[in-house]
Amino acid sequence: MIHFREPLENVDRPQMEAGVVIVGGGPAGMACALRLAQLIDEHNAAHPDAPLSKEGILVLEKSREPGQHCLSGALLDPRALRELLPDFEKEAPLDAKVTKESVWFLTEKGQHRFPIVPPPLRDHGNYVISINKFVQWLAQKVEEAGITVFTGFAGSELLWADGRRGPETARVTGIRTDDKGVDKEGRPKSNFEPGYDLRAKITILAEGTRGNCARQLIQRLSLEDPNHAQTYGQGIKELWEIPSGRIAKGEVRYTLGYPLNSREYGGSWIYGISDTLISIGYVTGLDYQDPRTDPHHVFQSFKEHPFARRILEGGRMIRYGAKSLPYGGWLTIPRIYGNGWMLLGDSAGFLNAQRLKGIHLAMKSGMLAAETAFRAMLSGDSSAAALSAWKTAVNDSWIRDELWRVRNFHQAFEHNLLEGMISSAIQQVSRGGNLGPDSGNRAGHLRMQPLDLIGPPDLSSTQTIGNARGDGQLTFDRLTDVFHSGTRHDEDQPCHLVVQDLNICTQRCTHEYGNPCRYFCPAAVYEMIEAEGGAGSELRINFTNCVHCKACDIMDPYQIINWVPPEGGGGPNYDGM
Amino acid sequence: MFGRTSPGVLCGLDPVRYTLAGMKILVCIKQVPQKDAPLRLNEKGTWIRDDASWETNEPDAYALEEALRQKEKHGGEVAVVTAGPARAAQVLREALAKGADRAIHLEDDRFAQLDAANTARALAAAIEGENFDLIVTGLQSDDFGAAQTGVLLAEILGIPHATIIIGIEKTDTGLRLKRELEAGHYQYIEMPMPALLTIQSGINKLRYATLIGIRQAKTKPLRKVSWADVEGRLSKHMQRIERLYVPGSQKTTRRIEAPAAEAAKQVVDYLKNEAHVV
Repeated sequence: MIHFREPLENVDRPQMEAGVVIVGGGPAGMACALRLAQLIDEHNAAHPDAPLSKEGILVLEKSREPGQHCLSGALLDPRALRELLPDFEKEAPLDAKVTKESVWFLTEKGQHRFPIVPPPLRDHGNYVISINKFVQWLAQKVEEAGITVFTGFAGSELLWADGRRGPETARVTGIRTDDKGVDKEGRPKSNFEPGYDLRAKITILAEGTRGNCARQLIQRLSLEDPNHAQTYGQGIKELWEIPSGRIAKGEVRYTLGYPLNSREYGGSWIYGISDTLISIGYVTGLDYQDPRTDPHHVFQSFKEHPFARRILEGGRMIRYGAKSLPYGGWLTIPRIYGNGWMLLGDSAGFLNAQRLKGIHLAMKSGMLAAETAFRAMLSGDSSAAALSAWKTAVNDSWIRDELWRVRNFHQAFEHNLLEGMISSAIQQVSRGGNLGPDSGNRAGHLRMQPLDLIGPPDLSSTQTIGNARGDGQLTFDRLTDVFHSGTRHDEDQPCHLVVQDLNICTQRCTHEYGNPCRYFCPAAVYEMIEAEGGAGSELRINFTNCVHCKACDIMDPYQIINWVPPEGGGGPNYDGM
Repeated sequence: MFGRTSPGVLCGLDPVRYTLAGMKILVCIKQVPQKDAPLRLNEKGTWIRDDASWETNEPDAYALEEALRQKEKHGGEVAVVTAGPARAAQVLREALAKGADRAIHLEDDRFAQLDAANTARALAAAIEGENFDLIVTGLQSDDFGAAQTGVLLAEILGIPHATIIIGIEKTDTGLRLKRELEAGHYQYIEMPMPALLTIQSGINKLRYATLIGIRQAKTKPLRKVSWADVEGRLSKHMQRIERLYVPGSQKTTRRIEAPAAEAAKQVVDYLKNEAHVV
């Protein structure tokens, strides 16, 4: 019997008043906090008689130390950072300036270099970074600026003023943090610490892709347009130490094609962090049809292609991580403000799918939100009307310029790769437009096909379906990889992957989709085991493996898996990733 | 030179002091590489690379918890001390957030690999004149595992110590302690204060840092001690790790084909002259 995590009832919860609570300490949340601190400093310098305090600004981060749950390639477009900290080049942890770039199309055995690097993938002026070190550095800046980052605290649920559900009328009044010290049966342990109710004038959700509070908000207020639903990709990444001379420091390579076939969306990156250290990864669109597709397997197969093998052979994998990213683009961004709330960064979908970059957009969204939040702090008005200034600021900023012209990019690839490339070429010259109306976009899990429609696997997709077995040198099974993610959770706590109806797993999903949770999870969390007494099979959830990627929450065809935060501090440890 | 010269006498003469003023407790904490995380050797092969993830040494976390509980019961003060590079401040912040009152950081990269005896000398120098009633620390560190620093510190301070403690009870004259022995056996001892105890993991249930605690930690005092401040107290003779390596797999099986008596002889011969184990 699996006991799922839920907030404890009848608990006397500590209350805390706050001005602004930022949920999530990634690039968006940290940039927001830092900009807010700058504005307050400027204000206090100009108005020493009526200073504003930073005491009431809180950043919550569920990882044990800042940046440990952040994962990206990562390439940084420094545009937002330059605005935030003009002298960043002197002190930010930037591994390398991009020196060289190329784009390749892979067939099963061959590789074809694109004659030119398409303009969106030109990365001169960008930096190869470790997003973990980068966010650690931002966190230090935030702390130095006088704002406290509370690590090890997740936002578990939003607090609401009342039962209103209209986007214009409902009010978010704060956030509840995670209960700590609850055993696996859901009972308080002797060191139980109930979650706080943080009563905030403004709650800023910067939880990253598919944030759990953002999801509550979007569902409760029906913010997602089903015709422009957010779509996601699943990024799998490893860090490798390799013999020198194979790739230059600051070199960037992208590939399309193998091991995915032309019906599926995805591609790889290889970034030279130094002469002997690379970031390598593969993004698979979470809108594939075959439920047996395993994005982790796709990445392992990519490494076996001569293109990657030549770089990796004789090297050593040192770290692993997996995370989903939103790439539906501008048209899928839901409403981003309301009474007492704002939605930032990847939680809203501020990511450029064409350039595969979102850090700069996340940061900029945070900086603009900070300006609106600052004015709300001054005026005391945090109503939807007041916070709508943020949406206006986004529309007037380079965020919209950049995202508007690629608004149809991912959607163009929905049918196949060739069509996508043609459409994106048209969009390139027409500043983002199609030859007709803008494309619609349905949720990716809706494209998953039942097994009886899809039939047995054809030979061209064996490299993408089922779990990878790994040879232990170049390729790895999921458990070996998870070990390299540094993931750790207290075992004596309820399961934080809340499956609303376990009967669906065994009575419907097994026959209809073959339990795809066994494949889309890159951390081997879900297993079908023989049921006790030998009566069929049942689901086992190894939640302590969970790397917080959210793929299950996104891709489960019945949408019955609800990812909620485990006890704060648990999760992967992406130090150095 | 360090601490009180005749702790027993002081303790015996003035037991009331502890009840009135509470206990002044020091917790020695070490930052160690995160357990279960993949580790890599540094280039010289003398230690692991510094880009590991770090955390509080687990037995030290229990020592801190025990100190906080004693303070909650008897009043007083809990100070925490660590010796390590700048990154080690993390374990102090965590301790302050959980309720320690102040922190001392012997901050220098050289402390990271300092041997147990010299670490104890450095700690003793850093707390000179503080006169703690009780010093607690984990029974050993998860990285070096020497289990020496605590007891050496007691020796330098001239105070009694006890190791592998899994129960502490303050009495009118000092402490009643429960030590863990082998195979489920325990030893109960009485001890005067001041004293130093090394604590076994599992003695209590660790608390969580609270939001309020983290906020309050910001304003608590943190005293820094530099290498130069304590260098004069260190020995000129320091231990150094010459080489650290991952043991290679050397498993080979030799099959002895002979009648039993002869085979036994050969086995004994092997164990004596080649394996050198008998």
